[in-house]
Amino acid sequence: MRVEYINPFVESAYSVLTEVLNMEVHRGEIYLKSNSMSVLGVAAIVGLAGDVEGRVLFDMSQATAINVANHMLKEMGMEAIETFSEMGKATITELANMITGQAVTKLHNLGFSFDLTPPALFTGDNMEVSDHKVEALIVPIEMSLGKIEINVAIRERN
Amino acid sequence: MSSVTQRSRANRTDRSGEHGKEKTESIDFKMVTFSLGGKDYGIDIMKVKEIARLVNFTYVPNTPSFVRGVYNLRGEIISIIDLRALFNLPFVQKPNSEEESGLILRLDSNLIGIVVDKIDKVVGISSESIQPPHPIFGDINIKYISGVVENDGRLYIILDAERILGKPEANDSIEALLENNRALVAEQDLKPPPQAMQQNTRPEATGLGDDTQFKTFVIEELKALENFYVGEVNQAWFDLRFAEWKKFREGKQLQLRSQDDARAFLEGFLSPCTGQLWTTEYLDRIRGLLPDKASRLFNVWNPGCGRGFETYSLAVCLKNKFPDSQVKIWASDKDLLNISSAPNLVFAEKDVPDYYKDHVTQGKNGLSFSQKIKEMILFEYHDVGNHHALPPMDMVLARDLLSWMKQEARYKFFDESQELLKSGGIIVLGAAEKVPERDSWKTMEKNSVFFAVKS
Repeated sequence: MRVEYINPFVESAYSVLTEVLNMEVHRGEIYLKSNSMSVLGVAAIVGLAGDVEGRVLFDMSQATAINVANHMLKEMGMEAIETFSEMGKATITELANMITGQAVTKLHNLGFSFDLTPPALFTGDNMEVSDHKVEALIVPIEMSLGKIEINVAIRERN
Repeated sequence: MSSVTQRSRANRTDRSGEHGKEKTESIDFKMVTFSLGGKDYGIDIMKVKEIARLVNFTYVPNTPSFVRGVYNLRGEIISIIDLRALFNLPFVQKPNSEEESGLILRLDSNLIGIVVDKIDKVVGISSESIQPPHPIFGDINIKYISGVVENDGRLYIILDAERILGKPEANDSIEALLENNRALVAEQDLKPPPQAMQQNTRPEATGLGDDTQFKTFVIEELKALENFYVGEVNQAWFDLRFAEWKKFREGKQLQLRSQDDARAFLEGFLSPCTGQLWTTEYLDRIRGLLPDKASRLFNVWNPGCGRGFETYSLAVCLKNKFPDSQVKIWASDKDLLNISSAPNLVFAEKDVPDYYKDHVTQGKNGLSFSQKIKEMILFEYHDVGNHHALPPMDMVLARDLLSWMKQEARYKFFDESQELLKSGGIIVLGAAEKVPERDSWKTMEKNSVFFAVKS
C-alpha cells in the first residue's frame, strides 16, 4: 500500500476514537497481512474508490462493540444498550464512517481523491475475510473497552 | 546384524586367522568389511552404528560430488557420502530410486552414512595382527588407512573413519581448502539437480567431508542469527566467503556464536552504495545494463528499496537515459520506518554526487529530490511475500533482498518477476547475488553486475 495512505488512516482512527470516546487510546504495532483472516464478530466495512480501489474494515468482538457503543451513547446522554441492537449497530457504523471520512479528507488534502461507499455492518460467528491479490494493512487499536482492528486493503488503479 | 552370527564368524576367523609366526590368540578388534572397486576394506565395528540399504537420497545443491545427499534415517537427517566417489574409484552410479549398500557410522561428532559397492561380513581379528599401511595401497591416501590385515586368505585395508569423515585436522592446509572451494564454485554453476548428481568422479574431492559439515553449521547459524538464507542466489558468494572466513579465523572457532559473528561473516555482502545515493561510477555500471531504447512507458519494480536511496538514484539514471519515456517505479519495503521516510527523503549537500545536481531542490531540512523525480516513484509499504497487483515491468531491481528470504519465497518471487517482466526486460539482484537460470530469461554479466534478460 502506498506509504502516503498509511498515516491518514492511523491518525484519523486515533483522533476520532480519542474524541468520541473521550478516553485513552493506544495504537498497536502496524503490520501487513495477505491471507484471509478471521473476523472477531462485528465488522463494519467502508468501500473506497477513486484513485484507488479497496475497502476499510473495522473489526471487533461483539462485547467490544457493545462497550464502545454504550460509551458513545453515554457521552451523548443516551440510554445504554444491553444486546447488540439496532442502535448499537447504527453507532458502530457511524464510527466507521467518521474514521474513514476523516482519513479520506486528510488524503484529499494530500492530493489523492477518494470516494467512499456507505458503510455496511456484518455480525456473526466464524466469519473470515479474504482479499484477492491485495495485502491488508492492519492497525490495531487498544482501549480499556476492548480492541478494534482496522484493516485497510487498497491498491492503486493501474 | 545379529550378534550370534557375528560371534560364530568371529570364532571361525579366530581359528583360521593365523598368519606368519604370530597366532591370533584373542579377538579384540572387529571390523565390518566391504568392497570398493574390487578391493576389500574394513571399518572398526565400534564406529558402525548399523548396516543399511540406502535409497532415495535427497539431493543437496552445492555439495562436493561425493556427497550423495541427505537421508532420513528414522527421523534423523544424516549426510550420505559415496566412498567410491570420495576415493575416485570407478563405479556405476545407480539411479536414486535403487537401493545402495551402505553403513551408518557413528563418529565423535555426528552420524554419517557411506555408500559402498557391497557389504561383506564382520571379521574379528587381533589388533596385534594389524600391520601399518604401506604406500603401495595407492588407491587411497595413506593417511586415511589405519592399517592392513590379512584374514582368511584375504587382505583387508582398515579405514580410519574418523580421519576421513570426522573433524578437520589442524594441519589441513588452507590453500588446499581454498582450492577446493574455488573448484566447487566453478563446478556448481547452478546446474539443475539431476545433472549435478551424475558428476561423481572429481579428482580433488578427498578430505572435504569435514568442511561440508562446518559449512552446514554456518549456514544454519546465519539463518538463526540474521535470517540470512544461503541458497542458489548467494551460494557462490557464500562459498568464497566461507573460505576467507576460514583463513581469517585460523585456529579459532569457525562457527558463528553471536549476532556480531554473523554480521562479521556477512560483511561485504551488501551491494555498493547501500543506504546512500549511487556514485557516478556505480550508476554508469547499472546504466550499461539498460536497453538502448525504451518505449513510451518504462516500468520498474523495486522491492526491498529500504529508505529509497537506490530508487531515487535509479530514477535519476532513467530520467537521463530515457528523457522521452514516462518512467514509473514501484518501490516497496516491509520496514515501515524506512519506507515511511522514503517519499520525503532529505540529505546533505556533501552527499550528493554532481550527477544528481539538476534534480535536487533545497528544502528547509536539507536537499531533496525535485517533484519531477518524486512523481516517477510510488513508494509502498509492502511485503514481497504477499500478493500485489502490478503492471508489466521493463526492469526488476531487487538488491540484497532475496538473501533474507526463504527458498520458497524466492521461487515465488522469481515466478512473479518472470510473469511481470516484458520481453527484453531485465532483472538485477544484489552484487553478491546471482539470478538463477530459467528458461524464460538469459543470465549474463556485464560491468561486473549479474543480471538476466527476459527472452
